[in-house]
Amino acid sequence: MAGATNSLLVIDGLATTWAELETVRLPGNPPLAVLDDGHGRALRAVARHRRDGGELLIAAAGRVDAELRDGLLADGFHLVTPDGLVEPAGWRPEQPGRIWILTSGSTGRPKRVPHTLASLSTVGGDQPPRVWLCPYSPGTYAWWQVVTLSLNVPGQDVVTIDPARLDSWPEAAAAHGVTAVSGTPTFWRQTLFRSGDTLRDLPLAQITLGGEPVDQAILDRLAETLPGARISWIYASSEVGAAIAVHDGRAGFPVAWLDRVAAGRPTLSVEDGELVVSSPYAGDGLAGRVRTGDRVEISGDRVLIIGRLDSDEINVGGSKVSAGMVRDVLFTHPAVRWARVYGRNAPLVGRIVAADIVTDGTVGEAELARWASTRLSEYALPRRIRLLDEIPMKETLKSDV
Amino acid sequence: MQPKTTMRLDRARVRELMALVVATRDVALPDDDAVALRDIGFRSLDFSELALRVEDEIDRELNFDAPGLRSVVTVGDVLDLIDHLQAGS
Repeated sequence: MAGATNSLLVIDGLATTWAELETVRLPGNPPLAVLDDGHGRALRAVARHRRDGGELLIAAAGRVDAELRDGLLADGFHLVTPDGLVEPAGWRPEQPGRIWILTSGSTGRPKRVPHTLASLSTVGGDQPPRVWLCPYSPGTYAWWQVVTLSLNVPGQDVVTIDPARLDSWPEAAAAHGVTAVSGTPTFWRQTLFRSGDTLRDLPLAQITLGGEPVDQAILDRLAETLPGARISWIYASSEVGAAIAVHDGRAGFPVAWLDRVAAGRPTLSVEDGELVVSSPYAGDGLAGRVRTGDRVEISGDRVLIIGRLDSDEINVGGSKVSAGMVRDVLFTHPAVRWARVYGRNAPLVGRIVAADIVTDGTVGEAELARWASTRLSEYALPRRIRLLDEIPMKETLKSDV
Repeated sequence: MQPKTTMRLDRARVRELMALVVATRDVALPDDDAVALRDIGFRSLDFSELALRVEDEIDRELNFDAPGLRSVVTVGDVLDLIDHLQAGS
């Protein structure tokens, strides 16, 4: 692979390049699992993989519990951790070129999805030079997207930021001349909530959202805050890869894209309200139609991705309510900065709609309830609203939406 | 397992919570306990919300195995029932 070995990498505040990056060195070429929250070891392992093609799994230490760690050792992985190298009892030949991604675990225990550097490389061609901020946890699909962009496309520099310093990313971005940032909607909401004024001053030319449903309100707020930036949202998962990229500033994707077949491009379909994807970027063994588990609604000329099928529907006294649709209505309130909508057990009707909400402090529960009551049916109205002080965010930069 | 609390809300506090439930629709809860629920549009969803508000304040679930739901017609009936459910939980 030709690649862009001169792309700049900023790790722990220090600049280097792929060509200069010291690689992780181990005798032989055993399967390697880098379990670390920081980016340094992870990127050095990527450099090694790029050079030798060795089998590789990268994950933040916090995502790997004792059972998963034992499973990796039993499967012959050498573990690279901040405390040193842990060797497995046994040995097995590596799978050349294999990269494993841990799923986010939103549907249970994390599982390994097989990829290669080629299947993770979804962006190519000529791209304007950018300095990307990478706030993602090492080893996630989104992290690999930024990393492979830097590896493959000239002029795509990357500034990493450790999870412990995530709150101060706008300052780090300003210090290192960042011009492009990729993050989840929750990441962007938290940034607008905490550092909106600082964000406004950043010279961002590209901002990207992904990993969670993207609603119109967050797109509009980002466009208002950063009028000079191109705003894109990406639908991607470990299983189907990066399947949808939308750049027109609108939530959802055009209905015209459904069932469109083109060589080398993902095919998108809707079956029983579920998004179905056939993608050239899918994990190995996942070629063909993959039911994503994501619920979609068609609204006018757009297909909106609402949330997970298994958690989106709330049955309120026999009436079906979409948590995602309620959440998106709450997001349109000008004072709402973040919301999570869920079902709560209740007498008589079985479940009622409840919401955790973060506001800008100018409205209370009663005002929000009144406002929602004019926009939602009686059954969909959040009956219990809890106001939180901060936007909760996991290390995957997602919240439980 | 957390021990159950024995906290109980008095009738005045339950009335305040009931007022909050109907206030969402800009309805003021009448002072008169004899007012019919249908006159203020108080329905099963409202009762569910009220029950959850009470549960949140007393930090335990109400016992809905207790009989009596069919006799709820007035504001006073709701207050009586919540009192009854608190005693039985």
